[in-house]
Amino acid sequence: MKSGLTLLTFFVHILYLTGQETPTPPEGMVYVPAGEFIMGSTYGDPDERPQQIASTKAYFIDKYEVSNTEFAKFDPTFKFPPEKKNNAAVVTWSKADAYAKWAGKRLPTEKEWEKAARGIDGRVFPWGDTYDNTYVVWDQKETRGTSIAKPASPYGCYDMAGGVWEWTSDWYKPYPGNEVPMEQYGETYKVMRGGSNFNNHSFIRTSQRYYVLPEKIHVYPVGIRCVKDID
Amino acid sequence: MFKYSLLPLVSIFIFINHGLLAQKVNEFPKKTDPLYKKVEMFDRLMLGNHWNEGAIMQHVIFPPAGLEQPIIGSQADCLDPTSEMLAAYSHKYAITGDPKDRKIANDIFEAILKLEKVTGVDGLVARSFNRTNEPLWHEEVFWYHEWHQSSSMPGYRWLGDLSADKFTSIFYGVGTFWELCADDEYKKKAAGLLDRFIGRVVDNNFKLTDLDGKMTLWGNFCPNLPHQELNSLEMLAALKVTHHITGKERYNAAYHMLIDRYHYDDHQINSKILFPKEWRNVGDDYHAARSLYMIMRLETDPNLLNKYRMNLNRHWYDWKDIEFTWESNIWFLMVYKVLTGEDIFTELKKQGIKDMWGFERNTREFKIPQKDGSFKLVRSEEERTAAAMIRNYWFGRYYGIIDEKW
Repeated sequence: MKSGLTLLTFFVHILYLTGQETPTPPEGMVYVPAGEFIMGSTYGDPDERPQQIASTKAYFIDKYEVSNTEFAKFDPTFKFPPEKKNNAAVVTWSKADAYAKWAGKRLPTEKEWEKAARGIDGRVFPWGDTYDNTYVVWDQKETRGTSIAKPASPYGCYDMAGGVWEWTSDWYKPYPGNEVPMEQYGETYKVMRGGSNFNNHSFIRTSQRYYVLPEKIHVYPVGIRCVKDID
Repeated sequence: MFKYSLLPLVSIFIFINHGLLAQKVNEFPKKTDPLYKKVEMFDRLMLGNHWNEGAIMQHVIFPPAGLEQPIIGSQADCLDPTSEMLAAYSHKYAITGDPKDRKIANDIFEAILKLEKVTGVDGLVARSFNRTNEPLWHEEVFWYHEWHQSSSMPGYRWLGDLSADKFTSIFYGVGTFWELCADDEYKKKAAGLLDRFIGRVVDNNFKLTDLDGKMTLWGNFCPNLPHQELNSLEMLAALKVTHHITGKERYNAAYHMLIDRYHYDDHQINSKILFPKEWRNVGDDYHAARSLYMIMRLETDPNLLNKYRMNLNRHWYDWKDIEFTWESNIWFLMVYKVLTGEDIFTELKKQGIKDMWGFERNTREFKIPQKDGSFKLVRSEEERTAAAMIRNYWFGRYYGIIDEKW
């Protein structure tokens, strides 16, 4: 009797879940459902701690980083070499933010970015926990999505590890409960994520945080991946 | 256009700063000169024009683009030529026994100590420094913006975010200096520096960490983080050298922990990416060659030596056909010969050694950022480095690969 009830409960749950409508993402975006996920790490830099259970609402996020061609539609003065039409655009934070608004989207929060990159299970990279050079695009000099293995994140995003760094909307601040002091915390630096694998492998980990002046990116290749709220 | 319009500016500069320009060495060798003469002349150019309080500049831009500074230029990789010249003078001293050569090596070593002192943190070594209270223009346009005003050495600015390759420069250069050149006093200083520098990395779980406490962009040797196979080799080599020089058991223990628990000995074998062919990177080979050169002469365990030899053999697969287009390529083959004893120098390769060259002095325009956000174009002379050539020469002489009459 008890096992029959358990089975019934299970089927009701499945029917309930399958009955939920998954919103259709706009073109070039993927859907990330609401819910909790593992954020941060126990093994990375002090600013990734404490590892925590965080949650987000549901949202859409761009499948790829914004390309030079896409950015030039917003800013016709934006120059890039003709052979790099499909490469990721590298821009300052204010330009990234303006582009996102122009496109009817916005820049992701750190939480949204990290969840889209690693899913709910706390994995090191978007595809899992191991690394190989064939999994990543070699910084912005290569076309987006052209790594040999072409791994997708759990929700179907590409190049969230490597390619260019990606802007988030957040200032560089400590996670709640982090008591390791850093003079850079505050509202001076914005957080960029995802790494450019010109740098060490560790910088393309999903939980890696890096701070940079929003309008002075210097030689850091930082690009854009937007999110869109679900009405 | 600039040929004429800049003449007054240059003239004014010469008038004001003739003392600085008088120090500039302008005599270059001819391509047809014998090797020893080319080395002698490039050595004078390097010591005369690239000397930054003992540290060796990889790139020098002369006034007027150097503005009021006698030398200025890209500085992220200064530890490479600095360690090359330290190794060169260590090998040279081992041959000549001349106190003047030892003095130059000591001065270069002191500059590496200064790279630590300028950061104000024991064991934290800067990439480079400049004596200035104000940011210099190139800080804004060359490399990552990682310059700091020194609090421990007022009047100096230093460049942070040290990387795994400069880490290799330090244990290779300082290790060679300790081995061949340093007297008792300097042996203690060299051991102390490596103890603080490598000790700090070990204490931070095998990460190079910067002033902000975060791992540097290329500072990952950590067993808990994914890292390149090359970095496993570099870390093992650093620990081996530091244990040899300091005699401290902690470095031997760390070496064997990384091998026994984390299999760095197996991981390092594939330091060289061979396929796809376009991913082969001779820049990385340079760091592997320095690491293998240091570790294979100190390791006595045949099982570990076999694994390091496998690494060397994988490099040799590419090096055996390599063209002598870059001075470090020549050094790879010298290292291979020293470590294996194989006679690999054909007449063609010997000619390649005899043809070694340093650099040309070029003139080009520099886009110099101004305080108001605009840029000013200034035409100026620049020099790259001949340190690798000079190091190759004395290394080759020391190991009997290069004849002094060449």
